[in-house]
Amino acid sequence: MRSLLSFFAFLFVAAVSAISTTGDRLLVVLDDVAEKAGYSKFFGDLESRGFKLTFETPKSETLSLFRLGERAYDHVIVFPSKAKGLGPNLTPSILLDFLNANGNILVTLSSGSAAPNSLVSFLAELDIQLPTERTGLAVDHFNYDSISAPDTHDVLVLSPPGPVRPDIKNFFSVGAPADQLLAFPHGLGVTLGAGELLAPILRAPRTAYSYNPKEQAEVVDDLFAAGEQLALVSTMQARNSARFALVGSVEMLRDSWFDAEVKKIGATKAVKTFNREFAKRVSGWTFQETGVLRVNWIEHHLDEVSALNESNPAIYRIKNDVTYTISLSEWSWDTWTAFTVPTNDVLQLEFSMLSPFHRVALGLDPSHSTPEATAYTASIKLPDQHGIFNFKVNYKRPFLTNVEEKNTVSVRHMAHDEWPRSFAISGAWPWIAGIAATVAGWVGFVALWMYSAPPAGERKKETKKTQ
Amino acid sequence: MSADPLHVLANAGKGESTRTVLRVVILCLIAAAAIASRLFSVIRFESIIHEFDPWFNFRATKYLVANGFYNFWNWFDDRTWHPLGRVTGGTLYPGLMVTSGAIYHALRALTIPVDIRNICVLLAPAFSGLTAFAAYLLTNEMTTSPSAGLLAAVFMGITPGYISRSVAGSYDNEAIAIFLLVFTFYLWIKALKQGSMLWGALCALFYGYMVASWGGYAFITCLLPLHAFVLICMGRYSTRLYVSYTTWYALGTLASMQIPFVGFLPVKTSEHMPALGIFGFLQLLGFLDYVRSAIPGRQFQTFLWLFTGGVFSVALAALVVATSAGIIAPWGGRFYSLWDTSYAKIHIPIIASVSEHQPTAWPAFFFDLNFLIWLFPAGVYLCFQQLADEHVFLVVYALFGSYFAGVMVRLMLTLTPVVCVTAAIAASSLLDTYLNDKSPNPEDYRPEDSSDATSKKASKAGLKSTNKPVVGIYGFISKGVIVSAMTIYLLLFVLHCTWVTSNAYSSPSVVLASKMPDGSQHIIDDYREAYQWLRQNTKEDAKIMSWWDYGYQIGGMADRPTLVDNNTWNNTHIATVGKAMSSSEEVSYPIMRQHEVDYVLVVFGGLLGYSGDDINKFLWMVRIAEGIWPDEVKERDFFTPRGEYRVDGEATSTMKNSLMYKMSYYNYNTLFPPGQAQDRVRGSRLPEVGPTLNVLDEAFTSENWIIRIYKVKDLDNLGRDHASAAAFERGQKKKRPAKRRGTRYLRTE
Repeated sequence: MRSLLSFFAFLFVAAVSAISTTGDRLLVVLDDVAEKAGYSKFFGDLESRGFKLTFETPKSETLSLFRLGERAYDHVIVFPSKAKGLGPNLTPSILLDFLNANGNILVTLSSGSAAPNSLVSFLAELDIQLPTERTGLAVDHFNYDSISAPDTHDVLVLSPPGPVRPDIKNFFSVGAPADQLLAFPHGLGVTLGAGELLAPILRAPRTAYSYNPKEQAEVVDDLFAAGEQLALVSTMQARNSARFALVGSVEMLRDSWFDAEVKKIGATKAVKTFNREFAKRVSGWTFQETGVLRVNWIEHHLDEVSALNESNPAIYRIKNDVTYTISLSEWSWDTWTAFTVPTNDVLQLEFSMLSPFHRVALGLDPSHSTPEATAYTASIKLPDQHGIFNFKVNYKRPFLTNVEEKNTVSVRHMAHDEWPRSFAISGAWPWIAGIAATVAGWVGFVALWMYSAPPAGERKKETKKTQ
Repeated sequence: MSADPLHVLANAGKGESTRTVLRVVILCLIAAAAIASRLFSVIRFESIIHEFDPWFNFRATKYLVANGFYNFWNWFDDRTWHPLGRVTGGTLYPGLMVTSGAIYHALRALTIPVDIRNICVLLAPAFSGLTAFAAYLLTNEMTTSPSAGLLAAVFMGITPGYISRSVAGSYDNEAIAIFLLVFTFYLWIKALKQGSMLWGALCALFYGYMVASWGGYAFITCLLPLHAFVLICMGRYSTRLYVSYTTWYALGTLASMQIPFVGFLPVKTSEHMPALGIFGFLQLLGFLDYVRSAIPGRQFQTFLWLFTGGVFSVALAALVVATSAGIIAPWGGRFYSLWDTSYAKIHIPIIASVSEHQPTAWPAFFFDLNFLIWLFPAGVYLCFQQLADEHVFLVVYALFGSYFAGVMVRLMLTLTPVVCVTAAIAASSLLDTYLNDKSPNPEDYRPEDSSDATSKKASKAGLKSTNKPVVGIYGFISKGVIVSAMTIYLLLFVLHCTWVTSNAYSSPSVVLASKMPDGSQHIIDDYREAYQWLRQNTKEDAKIMSWWDYGYQIGGMADRPTLVDNNTWNNTHIATVGKAMSSSEEVSYPIMRQHEVDYVLVVFGGLLGYSGDDINKFLWMVRIAEGIWPDEVKERDFFTPRGEYRVDGEATSTMKNSLMYKMSYYNYNTLFPPGQAQDRVRGSRLPEVGPTLNVLDEAFTSENWIIRIYKVKDLDNLGRDHASAAAFERGQKKKRPAKRRGTRYLRTE
């Protein structure tokens, strides 16, 4: 086990130089490459974090997400396009293949232009719905910026989003200055389906709603969505942990909004926007710079007094005591850190065959933890059932990469010489005594028979037959 | 006086030693003939293990040879019955494997390195030679005729009823069990005749070996007490019977309890109760016999007999009570199906689904036993002529053997030895009578001569009286007719046996043979092709789901874990597979995920006209699944409203949506011009549009489409269900949920 630890310590060192855990080739798809000037701070931040940016337009001949069957880029950012489609190089199925090949995609939308058809059907595959006309505008008459949108109310001012559930880690607002607010200008809200892979980062306030300014300028008769059902910034993490993020307002990322000051309706003074930090965190999460979990090693062994304690044996016996340990690390921007389970959450171990026979919480194991890795451990008594079992750790939480570890072991029955001997069982003593009595009686009878002379009349019996 | 074709030779050597030498030579030749006639399959095909069960026995033997006896004894097999595993060491009869393991090690010790596979392939023929010898010994205990034994040995050696289970490559328990059966009976007769503890102990020893080898040991366990009981009822109780029976029972039961699979069954289950009951009854009789001989007095004796009867009936009542109270396990399902042939069909479809558990068709008797079947009653009749203790045994055996053989096809095997023995007695007494060239003086006249003659319809010189010898049967013509008729029958028997063995019983069923139009042989090797594909292209621990018939073969040839196999101990698990096969994809997929299935294997004979395929077995899967989940799987749904089982366009939607149907016919219509896809087994034209599969990917299809293997898809990476993911792949656009009225779905997080 020591050698195992040192081997993984070596892996740690090797991995530290990477910026994102999956690579640094980033493709930016823009309608017009000249547009990038407006987002110089956003791109500058990405470059400073070590990404190599490539800019392409959707119509470009050279644009290709795959080369010789391998991913040509590790991450893609798609900016809004005026075109109706994204061309033959960014069809929905290519985008899906990119996710399936562990690529990460960040898509931005804008209320100014209808989303391209291919993007809409790509989003539909992920169970993310856009308004019917492929565009919309999120407005809120109670949370708008009174400086830039005093009349239209379409620049939403929101506080940095906390976790959507109490048991998940807060990635996007932790450490945010209390006086900074998030501006969401001219954005588009979407609704998310029921899938557990989807998770919203930023939801619209309860008073917000979405409408189509072109067709529903006078009266909003058919509401697309309102309140918290309207997701402004949402994410999807595929089963292979490829990440997808959808930012409803591309203007959020513009330099102008990075530096702008906003004044929430009713507030007395204008405050700086949180947009730059938020953009960094959303893009950092999407491109696998935060929230990436790694299983360093898994070890299970017999926990019995007279055992050899071999690591990870393939077979156990029923009712053995077994200890299971798993070591986890979390990648945080540029380094592997120890992963700590959020306070309201618990890491569970299942010992299952068809259904779980044990489901126990894994506790912290300080003796195997290091600053870069935390070890969690649990000891169980194997069930009185032979079969092919799995040690399963299935830890899937929003914003953290999936941990699904399955270690198969066989649990065998008692061998014929592993039972206690009969004389060790007190309940068997009467029977043992019975056997002894029978044996002694028989030997005594034989001795008596052999040493007593047969009487003369005994012979007669031989001649008698039944027939 | 001597054996038939060697009559002249035997006469030439009148001396006892010459006859002994001749007898040994003849027996050796019989053994050689027995072995030789079983080698058809090796010559036609190759040295290969046949069928289904032998593949498990072969795999277990390899494990034994590789890991030693103790590991074998405690073997937990995690590559079958996934994920339950099988305590194989405790649920098999180890006799066969240990025998071949011992032979293997003995040959290696003699520096003859023989591949374990060849030992396994040739074990059954080798033991058939021994069986012939055992039949010789058993027959010699029954009759004084020296030729009867040799005839019995020949019959036993080549009769198809026995060859069916012992051709080369048929490495099954029966391969050694029939030898043990016959030899145990021989030892029992020997022990009974001599009243010898030594022979009784030997009988118990071989009985123990038999128990270690085959579940059919229960036949001995029931037959010997029955014999004893019949003898007692006939008033033939003797100390010989007492000594031999008690020795056999005490030692034999102890020996049988050493086998983990048997364990405490001999004192717990109903099948073993007759043996125990007769054991107790004999103690009682022994005691009463002693008392009776010590205290004379007629009335007292009558009272004693009544007392005995009373005790017996009380014991019987106690047995019934204990059985109904559950202390003694009631009779197993397989046992009930012996009495009521439709029992299994109603209650235990898994037993009824095995073809060898079906009742025997009457031509099978003639097919398997040829002219022995009509000599058999004559032989039994001859037993009545003498009716010593051992003849009673033959009569009892003949009675029960023929009943059971009529109930279940596979039990033809247990009938065969007694048929051979009695037929040999009949044939030899015929030949002895008519080949004897001496005309006897009236004083030399022996009663068997006349009785043989009456039993033979061939004897035209009808001999009615037993008082006076009639000159007719000593005439040249009657002798010539009878002897030549017998010779013709014997020769026809040899021809028939060879023909049956070569045509019916020598197919390995793993490899199929067919004739090309020009008469040359064409080998269809799809099974091994597919298993080899699995072995080379899948992960070491890829779980294969298939119907249980192929479990042992996948385990043996492809070396991959299976969900169910031919050891059908867990009906629920088999029903689970049946449900997965007979349900729609949406129902099957969670079942396959839960059982960690990686590949699904189906057998499809539609292209080649191979009738033993899964669609033809499909109703059994449905029935077995219905037995466990009557609400989810219904056999009626697989039949059209008119009650037909169809696979063409008229098939019911349940049938068309079942996983088995889809897997069988997936992409099948691409082989044919549009609209002309044809299923050659069921002779029906298939619908123009073939089935679509969403949760499975076609992984492999063998040359003649007999084996089709599908890979189970993983969960969709993006959380879609498989149907919509597959629809997207096919380019169908997702329907936008436009204008949802009704209630909307609201996310809570």
